[in-house]
Amino acid sequence: MKGWLDERLHTSSLFQSLFAHPVPKRSNFLDYLGFATLFAFINQAVTGILLATVYHPSASGAYASIQTLQNSVAGHFVRSLHSWGANFMVVLVGLHLLRVFFAAAYKRPRELTWVMGGILLIATLGLAFTGYLLPWDQKGYWATTVGTAMAGYVPVVGDFLVRLLRDGTQVTGATLTRFYAVHMLVLPALLLLAFVPHFFFVLRQGMAATDELQEAEARGEDVRKISRPFWPDVALRMAAFVLLVGAALWLIASLYPKGLGAAADPLNKAHFTPEPAWYFFGIYQLLKYFPGKLDGLAMVGLPLIGIVVLFSLPWLDRNPSRRAKRRPLALGLAGVLVLGLGLLTYQGMNSVPKALAGTGVIAQPSYSKDIQPILHNSCLQCHANIATYPGTLKRVTPGNPETSLLYQHITGSVQPQMPFGQPPLPKTQIQTIKNWIRAGAKNN
Amino acid sequence: MDKGSDKDTDKRAVPVTRRRFLGLGVGSVAGVVALGYVGLAFDFLNPPPAGAEPLREVGQTGDFNVNEPRLVTYKGNGIEQGVYVINLGAEGWLALDFHCTHLQCAVNWVGSVNKFMCPCHGGVYDIRGHVLSGPPPRPLYHRVIKIQGNSVMVGGRQA
Repeated sequence: MKGWLDERLHTSSLFQSLFAHPVPKRSNFLDYLGFATLFAFINQAVTGILLATVYHPSASGAYASIQTLQNSVAGHFVRSLHSWGANFMVVLVGLHLLRVFFAAAYKRPRELTWVMGGILLIATLGLAFTGYLLPWDQKGYWATTVGTAMAGYVPVVGDFLVRLLRDGTQVTGATLTRFYAVHMLVLPALLLLAFVPHFFFVLRQGMAATDELQEAEARGEDVRKISRPFWPDVALRMAAFVLLVGAALWLIASLYPKGLGAAADPLNKAHFTPEPAWYFFGIYQLLKYFPGKLDGLAMVGLPLIGIVVLFSLPWLDRNPSRRAKRRPLALGLAGVLVLGLGLLTYQGMNSVPKALAGTGVIAQPSYSKDIQPILHNSCLQCHANIATYPGTLKRVTPGNPETSLLYQHITGSVQPQMPFGQPPLPKTQIQTIKNWIRAGAKNN
Repeated sequence: MDKGSDKDTDKRAVPVTRRRFLGLGVGSVAGVVALGYVGLAFDFLNPPPAGAEPLREVGQTGDFNVNEPRLVTYKGNGIEQGVYVINLGAEGWLALDFHCTHLQCAVNWVGSVNKFMCPCHGGVYDIRGHVLSGPPPRPLYHRVIKIQGNSVMVGGRQA
């Protein structure tokens, strides 16, 4: 077989030219992150095709088809793999990007590989965003409503863009079908179109890590001591790394199967508060720091600047050095950016309501166990700091619920009744808070 | 540069060779075909205008008390849709879209304070949909409303 192919296509010399090169011993698993991302994409493709065989892309059928799927063990697992796989892919793309940035591998002569990578990043985030709507549950419906509404802040054509994304003024069955086509056909096609050159450039130019070997060779050194052949030594290491990533994915998908929330209700009778997927929490949180008039800047301006910087980075950064010590500005700026985004994401995730464990009135409530979770759930979204003890104390007169601002607002004795624009807190929670204030509002 | 003079030094004035002409031809054909498909796709995906929804009956005039906005619902485009219908008494009738103009969360009418409130970022509107406070950049969208006899008819978005 091998000989037969070689005779016709000269496969062995092709193979030799692609895979026989040496790789420095210093190169480690961080250089395999791109390969792991490819694995995550293959996982998405396989599980996605399986899901497409049972999914009904319509407002009337989508939710029920996912419900039916959840009833079968294999079906539920495939969906969990697809959902967790999306998270894996976003994380791996991000880590791959950071690694390439840190190693300065985007610099000459690999500018185009970086640009293709930028397209791959955007396609990945686009897939994550469009996939979120497809189960047609409350989470997906409202995240998509808010997410597409952001396009409305683009000057002049904003309103048209929103209607183009939704195929109408609001998120309807037509939007679902449109997102389905984009998720299934447009973005995967874009991803493959960008991936082919991305991968080809790496094969053609070699990994950036191998450049040091060529320099050593040019100096007349023997590189065999500081390198190992790609095939089969490094390839085996890559395979082992991908096996590890794959095992982690399967383990997490089986330990934490993907649930299905309530069906989409475009009238939002249950007063669901929208929230994005965790990887968009950074921008979600950022919006809270922008005063009303500048909202558009955070929603359109900053992402636009981010995209422009991403694609022009190889030309913006004119420092030819690849050594970390000689790139203080680039690494410093990137460090601030990553830390900031991480902090915003963390804050955003913490400001989202969590399910409350206990119900019923608690006679002797503890601040951290009983009061804080209620504040976390119902107040923190608008009132920063309210769920910290000093923040709570500002709105409370220890021992006297009736004169405490917090109690007055949740009961409505002082208007407006809180939570603002939502149904009042359950009587049991109000009584629990009352008990806590009456007992002295202690930090227990 | 003047076309007639200095032909020898003007590099742009390369004579059109057969090779170049055919190359341009291949490029133009590909360009025209591609442009055709792009135009077609744009036309196909072009969303309906904002006010395209037909008028439909959502109730009788007697169903709506003066100054008490009511969310009326109907089926459309595969989903349950809604619109706030407001009887302003002598000032006539108003239909308001219930999506907050900030990021389009669903606003709720809170009767105890006579305001529309958005739970997401604290946008507040009065009974006519004007912004009272919070981040919304513009009033709630108006929907077409017509009273025919005793029927209240509601249509698509205005402006």
